[in-house]
Amino acid sequence: MEVYLYIALFAPLVGSLFAALFGAAPKTYLTGIAASGLLFTSFVSSAILLNYVLAGHTVHVEMMTWIAAGDLYIPFGFVVDQVSVTMMMVVSVVSTVVHVYSIGYMAHDKGFNRFFSYLSAFVFSMMVLVMSDNFLGLFIGWEGVGLCSWLLIGFWYHKESATWAANEAFIMNRIADLAMLIGIFMLYWNLGSLQYDVVFANIATLPMHIITWIGIFLFIGAMGKSAQFPLHTWLADAMEGPTPVSALIHAATMVTAGVYLVVRANPIYGLIPEVGIVIASLGAFVALFAASMALVNRDMKRIIAYSTLSQLGYMFVAAGLGAYWVALFHLMAHAFFKALLFLGAGNVMHAMHDELDPFKMGGLKKSMKWTWILMTLASVALAGIYPLAGFFSKDLILEVAFVEHHYVLYTVLLLTAGLTAFYSFRLVALIFHGNERHLEHGIHPHEAYTFMLYAMAPLGVLAVIAGMAFKTPYYLMVTHLLPAMTYHIHNHTTFWIMTIGTQLFVIAAITYAYKKYAKAVKVDKKVESGLLYQLLYNQYFIPKIYDEVFSKPYLKLSKLAWKEIDLKIVDATVDGIANIIYQTGEKTHTMQDGNLSSMLRWMVIGLVVLLVLAVAFTAGYNAVNLQAM
Amino acid sequence: MEITLTHYLVLSTVLFAIGLIGVMRRKNLLMLFFATEILLNAVNIGMAAISHFRGDYTGQMFAFFIIAIAASEVAVGLGLLIVWYKRTGKIDLDQMTSMRG
Amino acid sequence: MQEHILSILIFFPALAAMFGFVVHKDSVRAYGITVAAIEFFLSLWLWNLYDPMTSGMQFMEMAPLVSAFGISYLVGVDGISLFIIILSTFFTLIGIASLTEKRRVKDLIITLLFLEMTMIGVFAALDAIVFYVFWELSLIPMLYIIGAWGGPLRIYASIKFFLYTFTGSLVMLVGMLFMAYFYYQATGQWSFSLLEWYRLILPVNIQMWLFAAFFLGFAIKVPMFPFHTWLPYAHGQAPTIGSVILAAILLKMGTYAFIRFSLPLFPDASVAFMFPIAIIAIIMIVYAAMVAYAQEDIKQVVAYSSISHMGVIILGIFSMNVEGITGSVFLMIAHGVVSGALFLLVGVIYDRRHTKLMSEFGGLASVMPRYATIFGIMMMASVGLPLTINFVGEFLSLLGFYKQSHSYTLVAGTAIIVGAIYMLSAYKKAFFGTVTNEKNKNLKDVNRTELLGLVPLVVVAIWLGVYPKPLLEPINNSVEAIVQLMHDKAQTLEAKQRIPDLSNSAGLNSTQEAH
Repeated sequence: MEVYLYIALFAPLVGSLFAALFGAAPKTYLTGIAASGLLFTSFVSSAILLNYVLAGHTVHVEMMTWIAAGDLYIPFGFVVDQVSVTMMMVVSVVSTVVHVYSIGYMAHDKGFNRFFSYLSAFVFSMMVLVMSDNFLGLFIGWEGVGLCSWLLIGFWYHKESATWAANEAFIMNRIADLAMLIGIFMLYWNLGSLQYDVVFANIATLPMHIITWIGIFLFIGAMGKSAQFPLHTWLADAMEGPTPVSALIHAATMVTAGVYLVVRANPIYGLIPEVGIVIASLGAFVALFAASMALVNRDMKRIIAYSTLSQLGYMFVAAGLGAYWVALFHLMAHAFFKALLFLGAGNVMHAMHDELDPFKMGGLKKSMKWTWILMTLASVALAGIYPLAGFFSKDLILEVAFVEHHYVLYTVLLLTAGLTAFYSFRLVALIFHGNERHLEHGIHPHEAYTFMLYAMAPLGVLAVIAGMAFKTPYYLMVTHLLPAMTYHIHNHTTFWIMTIGTQLFVIAAITYAYKKYAKAVKVDKKVESGLLYQLLYNQYFIPKIYDEVFSKPYLKLSKLAWKEIDLKIVDATVDGIANIIYQTGEKTHTMQDGNLSSMLRWMVIGLVVLLVLAVAFTAGYNAVNLQAM
Repeated sequence: MEITLTHYLVLSTVLFAIGLIGVMRRKNLLMLFFATEILLNAVNIGMAAISHFRGDYTGQMFAFFIIAIAASEVAVGLGLLIVWYKRTGKIDLDQMTSMRG
Repeated sequence: MQEHILSILIFFPALAAMFGFVVHKDSVRAYGITVAAIEFFLSLWLWNLYDPMTSGMQFMEMAPLVSAFGISYLVGVDGISLFIIILSTFFTLIGIASLTEKRRVKDLIITLLFLEMTMIGVFAALDAIVFYVFWELSLIPMLYIIGAWGGPLRIYASIKFFLYTFTGSLVMLVGMLFMAYFYYQATGQWSFSLLEWYRLILPVNIQMWLFAAFFLGFAIKVPMFPFHTWLPYAHGQAPTIGSVILAAILLKMGTYAFIRFSLPLFPDASVAFMFPIAIIAIIMIVYAAMVAYAQEDIKQVVAYSSISHMGVIILGIFSMNVEGITGSVFLMIAHGVVSGALFLLVGVIYDRRHTKLMSEFGGLASVMPRYATIFGIMMMASVGLPLTINFVGEFLSLLGFYKQSHSYTLVAGTAIIVGAIYMLSAYKKAFFGTVTNEKNKNLKDVNRTELLGLVPLVVVAIWLGVYPKPLLEPINNSVEAIVQLMHDKAQTLEAKQRIPDLSNSAGLNSTQEAH
C-alpha cells in the first residue's frame, strides 16, 4: 500500500517538474496531458487507498528524517487514514478535472506550460498538507499551497491588480501562519513532539489554559487559509487568477485547509468547547456576512468567491460545534459543486471575452446549453435542494445547530441559506436568461470545447449523487477517527416541518431571484444609492479600511524609519561622532605649526597637566584608601 | 645650617623651572640648547642628591648616563645648527617651519 | 596530511595568492578558479574526515608563538565552525567563477584569495590572539575590495566600514587582554587558548564587563542595531563580489563569535543580557524589515534584509537551548547561501543596466524568465518557505526562543510577515507588470557564467531545506556540548534555570528506562 501512497503523493510533483522543464519553451499540449495523466494516476492510487481504508486499515509511513535538533524530531511522515483519504479523494478528483479542463481553458495562453507546472505543484502541496502525520509537515503543505496560490493568482503578472492580489493573499496568510507557528511552538514545548498521534494522545494532560491557547492559535492559522473574517479580503481579490485556479484552489481545496486543520485537530478542540463556540459563531457570522456581499456584487467570479466564503462559514459552524464529520462532509460536497460552478463561470468568461459583469450578459442558455445545465445543477446543489449534494451536507449543519440548541446560529444559517439560493440564482438568471445584452457589446458567445464539458461532467454527477450515495459509507468510514455523533431530531413532526420549511424557503428565494432577474433587468437607482447597497457593494468598506489603517501607515512608517530614523538619527549620530573626532583634529592641527618653540610650549603644558593629574589622582586615591581604612 | 636633601631638590626644581622657561621663551636655537642643558642638569642634581642620601648608586649611574647623552646630543645638535646657519644665515626658531602639520 | 589539514586550508589560499602575482593576466581567472576549487574540495575532504558523533574540537593543531604569554597558534574545528568554513570556500569559488568584473581582475582575485585565508582563519582559530589577528586581517581585503572596485561613494563607504568595525574590535581586544589577565590571576600562568578559558569560572560582575567589551566588537560586525549603518553603505558601494562575501561570510563572524566566546565564557552574563539583546534583535527584525520595505534600490532591500535575518540569528543564539542555537548556526549557513545568491542576482541586473533602482525596472519576468525564476526561488527561500534552507534555521531559532519568552517570540515571529512584505513588494516592482522602460526590452537572460554561480546555490538552498540532517547532526552535537558547558558553569540561579541541563535529562531518561 505504501507504493500507492507514494504514487498518490509524488505523481503531481513529477507532473509539475515535467511541466517546469518546458517552462520557457513554447506552448506544448504535452505538458498539460502529462500533468493530467499523472494526476489521474494519483487519483487512481487514492482510490485504491480509499478501498484499503474502507476495509478498516490505515497506512502510516516515515520516509526520512527532516529536522532533528535537540529533542525535536520531525520526519517526513505520511498517514493515510479515514480523514486524509477523504481529502485525498476530493483533491485528486477535483484537480484531475481542473487539469483536463485547463488544457482547453488555457489553450491560447502563452504561459500554458508554466500554468501546469504551478497547478500540479499546488496539488502536490495540498497532498502533503492532508497526508502529513505531524503538524510541521502540515505546515510544509500549508506554506506550499500558499506559494502556489501566490504564483497562480499572479499568473498574469503583467496585470497590476493580479500581482497586487497575489501579494495580498500571501501576506495575509502569513499573518495567520505566524499564529499557527506559535501554536506549533506551544505544542512542542508542552508535549515534546509534533506527531499527531503523540500530541493527541497526550493533549488531555495539559492544563486547560494552555490547550485553549493552542486551540486559539491553531484556529487563527486556519482563519487565514480559510479566509475567515477579518482575514477574508484576499479571497475575493484572488479571483484575479485564471478561473480553473479559482475552481481548484479558491473553492475546492486550499481554502478548506483551515477546516481540515480543525477537523484533524479534533482531539484538541474536543477538549475546549468554549473555543468551539467561538469558532462556530465566527463561522455563522462569516456565512451571513459573505452571503450579504454576494447579493449585490457585479462580478461573476467574486459572487462565487463570496459564496465560497459563506460555505466555509458553514463548515466552521459544524466543526466548532463538534460535528467534525459533518464539516468534512460539507467540505467534500462543496468542493464538487463549487468547482463545477467556477468551471462553468470559466466557460462563460471565455464566451464573453473575459467579461465578468453578469449585467452585460443574458440569454446564454441558447448558445451554451450544457454550461447552463451544469451551472444550474451546481447552483441547485449549492442551494441545498433535495436530492442534490448540498441538501445532505448543508441541511445537516442546520440540524446540528438545532440539535445542539444553538438557535441563534440556526437562524443565521437558515437566513443565509435563503440568501445563498437568491444570489446563486440571481447569477444564473442574469447569465443564462433574459435578453442577450452582450450583443450590444458585439460579443457572439460560443460553447466551450466539448472535452472541457466532458471534463466537467464527473463533477456534475458528483454534485448530484455525492450526498445521497456517499453519506452512509462516508459516515461509517470517518467515524473510526472522528467522534461519531448523529444529529437526529427526535420529534418527527419537528423534523419534517424543518426540512420542508427550509426547502420551501429556499425555493421561494430561487423563485424570487428568477422573477427579479430572468426577464428584464431593471436597475433600481433608489436602492443602489441607498446606504445598505453601498455598504454591501463596497464590501462593508473593509478593504478600504485595511488600506487606510494598515497598508498606507505601514508604508509611511517604513519611509519614516528609513529617511528620518535610520539616516537622520542613527547614521547621523555615528557620522557625528566621527565628525567630532575629525573636527577636533582639524582644529588642533594648528598646534603643530612647525614652530619648535611653540611646540615645546605645548609640550610643557602637557607635562604640567599630567603632573597635576598624577598628583590629584594620588591624593584622591590616598584619601579614599584612608577613609576605607 | 646643614644642607639636606630638600635643598638639593629645591635647587633642582629651580634649575628645572629656569630651563623650562628657557625652552618656552627662547627663540634662538643656541639658547634653546643651553636651556635643554639646564633641564638635564637639573635632573642630574636631583638624581645625584637622592642617590647620595639614600645610599643607592643607581641614581648616580643614571646621572652619568644623562651626562653622556647630553654631550652627544649637544654634539649632534650643534653640528646640525652649524649646517643650518651655513645654509640660511640665521638660527631663529620661528623661521624653521618646514615641519608644519 | 590529515593532521595538518586545517593549516593547509588556512594558508594554501594565501600562498596561492602570492604566486598569483606572477601569473599572467589572461590566465589569472583560470588560476583563481583552480585554487578556489582545490580549496573547496579540501574543505569537503575535511567534512568527510570529520567525525559527526564527536562534539569536541577536531583536527587540532598547536604551535607556541609567544610562550611567555601563552599565545600559541591553536586551530581546530567542531560542528559549528566546520560548515561556515565550507561556506567560505564555497562562496570564494562561486564568487571567482561567476566574476563579471573587468577592471584589474588579477588584483581582485589575489585579494579574494587572501580574504579566504583570513575567513577560514577566524573560524578555525581557538587562540584568542590568533582569532583577533585573522579577525582584523579580514578587514583589509574587504576595505580594498570596496575602496578599489566600488561605486562612486566607495571611499566614504570603505573608510566607514573599516573604522567602525575596527573601533569595535579594539574594545574586544581589551576584553581579551583582560580575560587573559584574569586567567593569569586565577591559575598563575598566561593563556590565550579558548579551551583553557572555557574552564575558568568568572565572578558575575566581571562577566558583565567582559561580556560588554566582547559584545561591542561582535555587535558591530553582525551588525546589530544601532551599530548597523555601515552595512547599507558598504553594500551599496561594494562590487557584487564584495557584497556576496560580506553578506555570506563576514557578517557571520560576529554571530559565530557570540557562540564561541560570549556564551561559554560568560554564561551568567549572557543570561542576564538575554532580554536586552532579544529586544535589540526584535528591533533588528522589524525595523530593518520596515526600512527594507521603504528602499528604492533593490540592493539596499537585500542589505537591510540581511540585518533583519541576522536579528533572528541573534535571537536563536540567545535562546540558550540546543534547538535555538542549532537553529541559529544553521540559519547562518542558510542566510549565507540565500543572501549571497540574492546579491549575485542583483549583480546580474546591475551588469546589464548599471542601475539598481527598482523604478527603472518592471516586467522583467517576461524579458528574463530564467532570471526571474531563480530570483523567485531565492526570494521564497529568503522569506522562509518550508523546504527551503532558511525555514529550518528560522523555525528552530524561533522555536528555541519560545522556550524563554512567549511574547518576545510572538513579536519576533512577525519576521515571517514583514519579510514577506518587503520581498514580495520588491519582486513585484522589479519583475511584474509590463515592461515600460525601453532599455529593458532587450535585456539578455542569465548567461552561462552567471548560471555557474547561481545554479549550485539554488540546489543547495533546496537540498538543505529538504534534507538538513547532514548539517544539523554535527551542529547539534557540538551545540549540546556548549550548552552543557554553560549550564555547568552557570552560577546564578536564573542562569541555571534558563540553560537546560542535558546530562541530567539524559540521565533521567535512562533511569526511567531502567525501571
